Amino acid sequence: MPRVFITGLGFITSIGNDAKGVEGSLRELRHGFELYPPFQKPDIACKVIGTIKGFSTDSTDPEDWTYPEAYEIKRETIRSMAPHGLYAHCAFLQAITDAKLADGDISNRDTGLFAASGGSPMLTYFHHERMLRLGPARCSPLGIVASIVGTLNFNLVAAFRIQGASCGFSSACASSAHALAYAFDEISLGRQKRMFVAGGEDGNRDAILPFAGMRTLSLQTDPALASRPFDAARDGFVGTGGGAVAVLESESEVKRRGVTPYCEVAGWGQASDGYNVAISHPDGAGSRVAMENALSASGIGAAAVDYVNAHATSTLIGDVSEARALKSVFGEMGVRPAISSTKALTGHGLSMSGVMEVGFCALMFRHGFVPGSAHISNLDPSCEGLNIIRASSTQAPKVVLKNSSGFGGANVALLLRRA
Amino acid sequence: MADHTQHSSGGGKVLPLASKPFAPDDEAALRESLKRCSPSTFEAAVQFRKTGNADHVPAVVIGVIERFVEPDLRAKLKDADDDLRLIEDLGIDSLTMMEIVILVEEVLQLSINNDELRNLRTVGDVKTFIDCKIRGLPLPRPTKFLPIEHIGSVMPIQPPFLFLNEASVSSTGANGKYKITGQEFFLQGHFKDNPVMPASIMLEALGQLAVLFLLEGAPTEPGKAIGANTIFFTGCEGVRAHRMCKPGDILTLSIKPKRMKMPLATFEGAIRVGQEKAVIAEDITLTFAYVEAAAAPARVDGEARPGVASDGGANPPLKVAINA
Repeated sequence: MPRVFITGLGFITSIGNDAKGVEGSLRELRHGFELYPPFQKPDIACKVIGTIKGFSTDSTDPEDWTYPEAYEIKRETIRSMAPHGLYAHCAFLQAITDAKLADGDISNRDTGLFAASGGSPMLTYFHHERMLRLGPARCSPLGIVASIVGTLNFNLVAAFRIQGASCGFSSACASSAHALAYAFDEISLGRQKRMFVAGGEDGNRDAILPFAGMRTLSLQTDPALASRPFDAARDGFVGTGGGAVAVLESESEVKRRGVTPYCEVAGWGQASDGYNVAISHPDGAGSRVAMENALSASGIGAAAVDYVNAHATSTLIGDVSEARALKSVFGEMGVRPAISSTKALTGHGLSMSGVMEVGFCALMFRHGFVPGSAHISNLDPSCEGLNIIRASSTQAPKVVLKNSSGFGGANVALLLRRA
Repeated sequence: MADHTQHSSGGGKVLPLASKPFAPDDEAALRESLKRCSPSTFEAAVQFRKTGNADHVPAVVIGVIERFVEPDLRAKLKDADDDLRLIEDLGIDSLTMMEIVILVEEVLQLSINNDELRNLRTVGDVKTFIDCKIRGLPLPRPTKFLPIEHIGSVMPIQPPFLFLNEASVSSTGANGKYKITGQEFFLQGHFKDNPVMPASIMLEALGQLAVLFLLEGAPTEPGKAIGANTIFFTGCEGVRAHRMCKPGDILTLSIKPKRMKMPLATFEGAIRVGQEKAVIAEDITLTFAYVEAAAAPARVDGEARPGVASDGGANPPLKVAINA
């Protein structure tokens, strides 16, 4: 089976709009949270989100949007995008440059694209309301492709003239982890030589506020306290949006092009809780099996894992359930890998979080650091026994486990290894 | 006979608009809708909405099209003739066409069916189409693009004296192209060691395009057709040649009917080479007569023959023209 490597990254996130900025924020534990103006209303209890800086995508009309001058996007390309389409498009351009891909490396039958996003609730509402009010004849012909789940893959595949495999993944907060995992399969099965994996989320009022309905958003008004996975006083997640892109390539492509990969994707596993539509299993049953499957599929022992980038979103139930799963996988073996949740800094990127956090891990391999789990004052007692690190280290990891979980009890575990 | 020259007949005609008076709220909405269009587009739209005067419509339509064309292609629209093609010349795809239509509908307060869109290929088509909608006139027949095989099969004039390689005909006029090959027999003597296309031949080419318009584009009475063998030249006025045309030049010809009343049809005509004016003729007048529609064999033939002709071989003189 061909080995698979990560060779390029791109980020538009709350903690930085390029790899360098993101790396600095991770090392120095700088969060990306701000009081979000649309939430500063009496009837909205949640106040803080992870904001995207340097972009303005509040309008329902993409031609109103502003974005950094470095990116040039034609009207015919941007007109069918959701806000997260713009973020991911910019991240995609970064990833192409970062991976040193030539034009011919992108648009060919051996190069595919998997993507994940939650669609665009803002644009769905805008176009739907307009249709009901004015009739379908007054609706934008591109309303659907800009709005529905799948908008990200439609737009990126067309914009970058992708000719290989393309597909969208929808397993809520496990979506882009699934996308990356299946992209790994696509290469290791020999079907494709290169895969782009993109995640995106609007991260605006319409994308985040609906989670208030299930009382899962942090109500903290202090941006520095809002997201604190594994802390006893955590009170919910902080939403964020953005775009993240990773380039996966086969070993032969890496050699042919003579590029230095960030790390190897060693394998992955998945399992489902079979428990509840939205609540994670109290003992993290599915997450535990996903991790075990990833280890056995990769032929890597639990003892070899020296860092876990947790899914932990700062919710009351979710963090504990993952902590229990981690204890059962590693505790029984007597090993204590370093664990942190970078969502303490970024917020929860929902569908985007999987590929974004794999990207973070890739940076750790290359630049020799592991970020601490920020904002913990009092560790939740049920997390005791785990090596949840508070401060960043300057040691590169050797083997990283990346967890992602989504609604319905979907769990994905990805294993990354130093190249 | 229906008035087929709407562009020249506008004359500030005021139409009764069924919609309510134009309120300040409407103006604000209009400004928002047209915020990416030129100020003159907005002004024209306001004037149209206030007065119902259809003369403002072309400015609105062109302004809306311009807004959807990529900036680097907008220059084409600035000095464009009505023959500028939406897809090929302006890069407008069918989805952009929908965006244009939706904005035009919103701004001019009319509705357009999908079926009606299919035939709109040029800027002129769109202008004429919207104009007809506003004035409540029957919609024009779509522009027909005629390949050389078709031209050859309907025209009474044949190679080596046919000076059209391709043409498009709509109900408001015709456009054509002819490339001067240098093989034209008369260039051997016009002039000695200096081949220049005779101005008289260029006038002839415009006349031929007018003949094609009469046969393919002109409105007729029910059951009648214009007989191909009834059309002859009677006169021309205001002819000026501005530029010498030589082998290699591609003549872009256009004619528009000015008056048409049996047995006379008068056209204005122009020839350009690229953006340069070559010849203009203020009046070219032809005579024509009607024949029974069934007794117009050339046209019936014309529908069936292109396939045969393009198989090659069947018509050597035409083949020469195709290769031109």
